[in-house]
Amino acid sequence: MQKKVLSEQALYYGDVSMPKGFEINPDKLKSDILQTSIENKDFKFSKNFDKLNNFITDHIRVKYGINLVNQSMWGNFYKPFSNTEPLLEVDPVDLKNSPDFVLLYGVQLKNCFIKIFYDDNRRKGRSWDMELKNNMFVMFPSTNMYIVKNKKSEDLNFIQTITYEYI
Amino acid sequence: MAHFAKISEDNIVLQVLAVDDKDVKNENNVETESVGQAYLETHNNWPANMWIQTSYNTFNNQHRNGGIPLRGNYAGIGHTWDQDNQIFWPVKPFASWVKLISEARWQSPIGDAPELTQEQQDQNAANTHWWFYSWNEDNQSWDLTNRLA
Repeated sequence: MQKKVLSEQALYYGDVSMPKGFEINPDKLKSDILQTSIENKDFKFSKNFDKLNNFITDHIRVKYGINLVNQSMWGNFYKPFSNTEPLLEVDPVDLKNSPDFVLLYGVQLKNCFIKIFYDDNRRKGRSWDMELKNNMFVMFPSTNMYIVKNKKSEDLNFIQTITYEYI
Repeated sequence: MAHFAKISEDNIVLQVLAVDDKDVKNENNVETESVGQAYLETHNNWPANMWIQTSYNTFNNQHRNGGIPLRGNYAGIGHTWDQDNQIFWPVKPFASWVKLISEARWQSPIGDAPELTQEQQDQNAANTHWWFYSWNEDNQSWDLTNRLA
Protein backbone atom coordinates (compact mmCIF):
# COMPACT_ATOMS: atom_id res chain seq x y z
CA MET A 1 0.00 0.00 0.00
CA GLN A 2 1.35 3.42 -0.85
CA LYS A 3 0.37 7.03 -0.37
CA LYS A 4 0.74 10.04 -2.63
CA VAL A 5 0.26 13.54 -1.25
CA LEU A 6 -1.38 15.62 -3.98
CA SER A 7 -1.68 18.83 -2.07
CA GLU A 8 -0.71 20.05 1.34
CA GLN A 9 -1.90 22.76 3.66
CA ALA A 10 1.02 23.40 5.95
CA LEU A 11 1.89 26.11 8.41
CA TYR A 12 5.50 27.13 8.75
CA TYR A 13 6.35 29.00 11.91
CA GLY A 14 9.17 29.78 14.27
CA ASP A 15 11.51 32.48 15.49
CA VAL A 16 13.60 34.61 13.20
CA SER A 17 16.91 33.71 14.82
CA MET A 18 19.28 36.16 13.24
CA PRO A 19 22.97 36.00 14.16
CA LYS A 20 24.02 38.04 17.18
CA GLY A 21 24.50 41.69 16.33
CA PHE A 22 22.36 41.37 13.20
CA GLU A 23 18.95 41.10 14.84
CA ILE A 24 15.94 42.82 13.29
CA ASN A 25 15.33 46.17 14.94
CA PRO A 26 11.61 46.16 15.84
CA ASP A 27 11.55 49.90 16.52
CA LYS A 28 12.79 50.69 13.01
CA LEU A 29 10.30 48.28 11.45
CA LYS A 30 7.51 49.71 13.59
CA SER A 31 8.42 53.21 12.54
CA ASP A 32 8.36 52.15 8.86
CA ILE A 33 4.89 50.67 9.35
CA LEU A 34 3.60 53.84 11.01
CA GLN A 35 5.18 56.10 8.41
CA THR A 36 3.71 54.08 5.56
CA SER A 37 0.31 54.27 7.17
CA ILE A 38 0.48 58.02 7.83
CA GLU A 39 1.73 58.83 4.34
CA ASN A 40 -0.55 56.23 2.75
CA LYS A 41 2.28 54.96 0.59
CA ASP A 42 3.61 51.54 -0.33
CA PHE A 43 5.74 49.88 2.31
CA LYS A 44 9.32 50.88 1.66
CA PHE A 45 12.19 48.47 1.39
CA SER A 46 14.56 48.73 4.33
CA LYS A 47 17.56 47.00 5.83
CA ASN A 48 15.41 45.45 8.54
CA PHE A 49 12.84 44.24 6.08
CA ASP A 50 15.65 42.77 3.96
CA LYS A 51 16.98 40.84 6.97
CA LEU A 52 13.56 39.36 7.65
CA ASN A 53 12.81 38.54 4.04
CA ASN A 54 16.20 36.93 3.37
CA PHE A 55 16.02 34.90 6.55
CA ILE A 56 12.66 33.48 5.55
CA THR A 57 13.42 32.78 1.89
CA ASP A 58 16.86 31.26 2.65
CA HIS A 59 15.68 28.99 5.44
CA ILE A 60 12.45 27.87 3.78
CA ARG A 61 14.45 26.98 0.65
CA VAL A 62 17.01 24.93 2.54
CA LYS A 63 14.65 23.25 4.96
CA TYR A 64 11.59 22.62 2.79
CA GLY A 65 12.82 23.05 -0.78
CA ILE A 66 10.37 25.87 -1.51
CA ASN A 67 11.67 28.78 -3.55
CA LEU A 68 9.78 31.89 -2.50
CA VAL A 69 9.52 35.09 -4.49
CA ASN A 70 8.16 38.26 -2.94
CA GLN A 71 4.88 39.51 -4.20
CA SER A 72 3.88 42.28 -1.82
CA MET A 73 4.54 43.57 1.65
CA TRP A 74 2.84 45.83 4.13
CA GLY A 75 2.60 46.47 7.82
CA ASN A 76 -0.39 46.78 10.13
CA PHE A 77 -0.98 47.94 13.66
CA TYR A 78 -3.92 46.97 15.78
CA LYS A 79 -5.64 48.71 18.64
CA PRO A 80 -6.14 46.95 21.99
CA PHE A 81 -8.94 44.39 21.97
CA SER A 82 -9.51 44.71 18.24
CA ASN A 83 -10.16 41.78 15.93
CA THR A 84 -9.83 41.97 12.18
CA GLU A 85 -12.46 40.88 9.75
CA PRO A 86 -11.66 37.51 8.17
CA LEU A 87 -8.77 38.22 5.78
CA LEU A 88 -7.99 36.42 2.56
CA GLU A 89 -4.94 37.27 0.47
CA VAL A 90 -5.86 35.19 -2.56
CA ASP A 91 -8.13 36.84 -5.09
CA PRO A 92 -10.60 34.13 -6.14
CA VAL A 93 -11.26 35.87 -9.46
CA ASP A 94 -7.58 36.51 -10.20
CA LEU A 95 -5.74 33.39 -9.08
CA LYS A 96 -3.02 33.95 -11.65
CA ASN A 97 -1.83 37.10 -9.94
CA SER A 98 -2.51 35.96 -6.40
CA PRO A 99 0.18 34.91 -3.95
CA ASP A 100 0.79 31.34 -2.81
CA PHE A 101 1.71 32.09 0.78
CA VAL A 102 1.06 34.73 3.43
CA LEU A 103 3.63 35.44 6.08
CA LEU A 104 2.88 37.29 9.31
CA TYR A 105 5.79 38.50 11.41
CA GLY A 106 5.46 39.76 14.96
CA VAL A 107 7.21 43.13 15.07
CA GLN A 108 5.97 44.21 18.47
CA LEU A 109 3.19 42.21 20.03
CA LYS A 110 1.59 41.13 23.22
CA ASN A 111 -1.37 38.80 23.50
CA CYS A 112 -1.89 38.60 19.76
CA PHE A 113 -3.51 35.49 18.31
CA ILE A 114 -3.94 34.35 14.73
CA LYS A 115 -6.89 32.15 13.82
CA ILE A 116 -6.32 30.34 10.54
CA PHE A 117 -9.29 28.68 8.87
CA TYR A 118 -9.00 25.55 6.77
CA ASP A 119 -11.06 22.75 5.29
CA ASP A 120 -10.35 19.13 6.05
CA ASN A 121 -12.09 17.44 3.12
CA ARG A 122 -15.81 17.55 3.90
CA ARG A 123 -15.17 19.01 7.34
CA LYS A 124 -15.39 22.68 6.46
CA GLY A 125 -14.51 25.75 8.48
CA ARG A 126 -12.03 24.23 10.87
CA SER A 127 -9.56 26.60 12.47
CA TRP A 128 -6.18 26.63 14.12
CA ASP A 129 -5.27 29.24 16.71
CA MET A 130 -1.78 30.26 17.58
CA GLU A 131 -0.19 33.08 19.48
CA LEU A 132 2.09 35.27 17.42
CA LYS A 133 4.93 36.62 19.52
CA ASN A 134 7.71 39.13 19.02
CA ASN A 135 10.23 38.13 16.37
CA MET A 136 8.16 35.08 15.41
CA PHE A 137 6.64 34.33 12.03
CA VAL A 138 3.88 32.15 10.71
CA MET A 139 3.46 31.39 7.01
CA PHE A 140 0.46 29.61 5.50
CA PRO A 141 -1.26 29.16 2.12
CA SER A 142 -2.94 32.28 0.80
CA THR A 143 -6.14 30.33 0.29
CA ASN A 144 -6.57 30.09 4.05
CA MET A 145 -8.69 32.81 5.59
CA TYR A 146 -7.36 34.26 8.84
CA ILE A 147 -8.22 36.62 11.66
CA VAL A 148 -5.89 38.66 13.85
CA LYS A 149 -7.11 38.89 17.44
CA ASN A 150 -5.59 41.40 19.83
CA LYS A 151 -6.21 40.80 23.50
CA LYS A 152 -3.75 43.36 24.73
CA SER A 153 -5.15 46.11 26.94
CA GLU A 154 -2.63 48.84 26.19
CA ASP A 155 -0.40 49.91 23.28
CA LEU A 156 -0.63 48.80 19.68
CA ASN A 157 0.31 45.48 18.14
CA PHE A 158 2.49 45.62 15.01
CA ILE A 159 2.57 42.92 12.37
CA GLN A 160 4.57 42.82 9.15
CA THR A 161 2.87 40.93 6.34
CA ILE A 162 4.65 39.55 3.27
CA THR A 163 3.03 37.58 0.48
CA TYR A 164 5.01 35.14 -1.64
CA GLU A 165 4.72 33.11 -4.78
CA TYR A 166 6.67 29.93 -5.08
CA ILE A 167 8.51 28.87 -8.20
CA MET B 1 34.46 36.17 -9.94
CA ALA B 2 34.87 34.93 -6.41
CA HIS B 3 32.21 32.78 -4.80
CA PHE B 4 31.08 32.88 -1.20
CA ALA B 5 28.72 30.58 0.68
CA LYS B 6 26.33 32.11 3.18
CA ILE B 7 26.06 29.73 6.12
CA SER B 8 23.48 29.48 8.87
CA GLU B 9 24.28 29.31 12.56
CA ASP B 10 24.16 25.51 12.31
CA ASN B 11 26.62 25.58 9.37
CA ILE B 12 24.16 24.83 6.57
CA VAL B 13 24.81 26.61 3.27
CA LEU B 14 21.88 28.97 2.68
CA GLN B 15 23.02 30.44 -0.62
CA VAL B 16 26.09 30.99 -2.74
CA LEU B 17 26.87 34.40 -4.20
CA ALA B 18 29.36 35.50 -6.81
CA VAL B 19 31.31 38.65 -6.01
CA ASP B 20 33.17 40.79 -8.49
CA ASP B 21 36.94 40.32 -8.26
CA LYS B 22 37.48 43.99 -7.46
CA ASP B 23 35.37 43.61 -4.32
CA VAL B 24 37.59 40.90 -2.85
CA LYS B 25 40.93 42.61 -3.42
CA ASN B 26 42.86 44.40 -0.70
CA GLU B 27 44.78 47.64 -1.04
CA ASN B 28 47.68 45.71 -2.64
CA ASN B 29 45.32 44.31 -5.28
CA VAL B 30 45.55 40.80 -3.82
CA GLU B 31 42.42 38.67 -3.56
CA THR B 32 41.65 38.33 0.15
CA GLU B 33 38.78 36.39 1.68
CA SER B 34 38.28 38.84 4.53
CA VAL B 35 37.78 41.71 2.07
CA GLY B 36 35.03 39.78 0.31
CA GLN B 37 33.49 38.84 3.65
CA ALA B 38 33.42 42.48 4.74
CA TYR B 39 31.85 43.49 1.43
CA LEU B 40 29.15 40.85 1.80
CA GLU B 41 28.43 41.80 5.40
CA THR B 42 27.87 45.40 4.33
CA HIS B 43 25.63 44.59 1.39
CA ASN B 44 23.80 41.50 2.60
CA ASN B 45 23.16 42.12 6.30
CA TRP B 46 24.79 38.87 7.35
CA PRO B 47 27.96 38.58 9.50
CA ALA B 48 31.30 38.48 7.71
CA ASN B 49 32.38 35.27 9.46
CA MET B 50 29.32 33.50 8.08
CA TRP B 51 30.43 34.03 4.48
CA ILE B 52 32.94 31.35 3.49
CA GLN B 53 34.80 31.52 0.21
CA THR B 54 34.32 28.51 -2.04
CA SER B 55 35.87 27.41 -5.31
CA TYR B 56 33.71 26.85 -8.37
CA ASN B 57 36.31 24.42 -9.75
CA THR B 58 36.81 22.25 -6.68
CA PHE B 59 35.15 18.84 -6.48
CA ASN B 60 36.14 15.92 -4.24
CA ASN B 61 39.19 17.84 -3.12
CA GLN B 62 40.51 18.18 -6.66
CA HIS B 63 40.72 21.30 -8.78
CA ARG B 64 39.26 20.59 -12.18
CA ASN B 65 41.84 22.77 -13.94
CA GLY B 66 44.78 21.40 -12.00
CA GLY B 67 44.93 24.30 -9.57
CA ILE B 68 44.86 24.20 -5.80
CA PRO B 69 41.55 22.86 -4.48
CA LEU B 70 39.73 24.96 -1.90
CA ARG B 71 37.64 23.49 0.90
CA GLY B 72 36.84 20.13 -0.62
CA ASN B 73 33.86 20.93 -2.78
CA TYR B 74 32.13 23.87 -4.35
CA ALA B 75 29.44 24.81 -1.85
CA GLY B 76 25.81 24.25 -2.77
CA ILE B 77 22.58 25.14 -1.05
CA GLY B 78 21.93 22.59 1.69
CA HIS B 79 25.57 21.54 1.99
CA THR B 80 27.18 21.53 5.42
CA TRP B 81 30.20 23.59 6.31
CA ASP B 82 32.73 21.59 8.32
CA GLN B 83 34.86 24.17 10.10
CA ASP B 84 37.25 21.61 11.62
CA ASN B 85 38.14 19.96 8.32
CA GLN B 86 37.56 23.07 6.17
CA ILE B 87 35.26 21.16 3.82
CA PHE B 88 31.83 21.77 2.30
CA TRP B 89 29.99 18.46 2.50
CA PRO B 90 27.10 17.62 0.20
CA VAL B 91 24.07 15.96 1.74
CA LYS B 92 24.88 12.49 3.07
CA PRO B 93 23.48 10.02 0.52
CA PHE B 94 22.82 7.18 2.99
CA ALA B 95 22.64 7.12 6.76
CA SER B 96 25.48 4.60 7.09
CA TRP B 97 27.97 6.42 4.88
CA VAL B 98 31.04 7.99 6.41
CA LYS B 99 33.26 10.93 5.57
CA LEU B 100 36.34 10.29 3.48
CA ILE B 101 38.09 13.48 4.46
CA SER B 102 41.11 13.16 2.18
CA GLU B 103 38.83 13.16 -0.87
CA ALA B 104 36.05 15.34 0.60
CA ARG B 105 33.35 12.84 -0.25
CA TRP B 106 31.03 10.32 1.36
CA GLN B 107 31.90 6.65 1.22
CA SER B 108 29.98 3.52 2.10
CA PRO B 109 31.11 1.71 5.27
CA ILE B 110 32.49 -1.12 3.10
CA GLY B 111 34.26 1.18 0.67
CA ASP B 112 33.52 2.09 -2.92
CA ALA B 113 31.57 -0.10 -5.34
CA PRO B 114 33.65 -2.88 -6.93
CA GLU B 115 34.95 -2.29 -10.44
CA LEU B 116 32.92 -3.85 -13.24
CA THR B 117 34.60 -6.83 -14.87
CA GLN B 118 35.98 -6.46 -18.38
CA GLU B 119 33.10 -8.58 -19.68
CA GLN B 120 30.53 -6.33 -18.00
CA GLN B 121 32.24 -3.23 -19.36
CA ASP B 122 32.22 -4.75 -22.85
CA GLN B 123 28.52 -5.57 -22.56
CA ASN B 124 27.79 -1.99 -21.43
CA ALA B 125 29.77 -0.67 -24.40
CA ALA B 126 27.81 -2.91 -26.76
CA ASN B 127 24.55 -1.68 -25.19
CA THR B 128 23.42 -5.24 -24.59
CA HIS B 129 23.52 -4.66 -20.83
CA TRP B 130 23.71 -1.74 -18.48
CA TRP B 131 25.60 -3.05 -15.46
CA PHE B 132 26.09 -0.89 -12.46
CA TYR B 133 26.43 -1.23 -8.71
CA SER B 134 23.88 0.46 -6.47
CA TRP B 135 24.09 0.78 -2.72
CA ASN B 136 21.70 -1.37 -0.69
CA GLU B 137 21.29 0.39 2.63
CA ASP B 138 19.22 -2.40 4.17
CA ASN B 139 21.79 -5.11 3.45
CA GLN B 140 24.79 -2.79 3.64
CA SER B 141 26.06 -4.13 0.33
CA TRP B 142 26.79 -3.11 -3.25
CA ASP B 143 24.24 -4.83 -5.50
CA LEU B 144 25.07 -5.48 -9.12
CA THR B 145 22.13 -4.62 -11.36
CA ASN B 146 21.49 -4.75 -15.07
CA ARG B 147 19.14 -1.87 -15.87
CA LEU B 148 18.30 -3.32 -19.28
CA ALA B 149 17.14 -6.63 -17.81
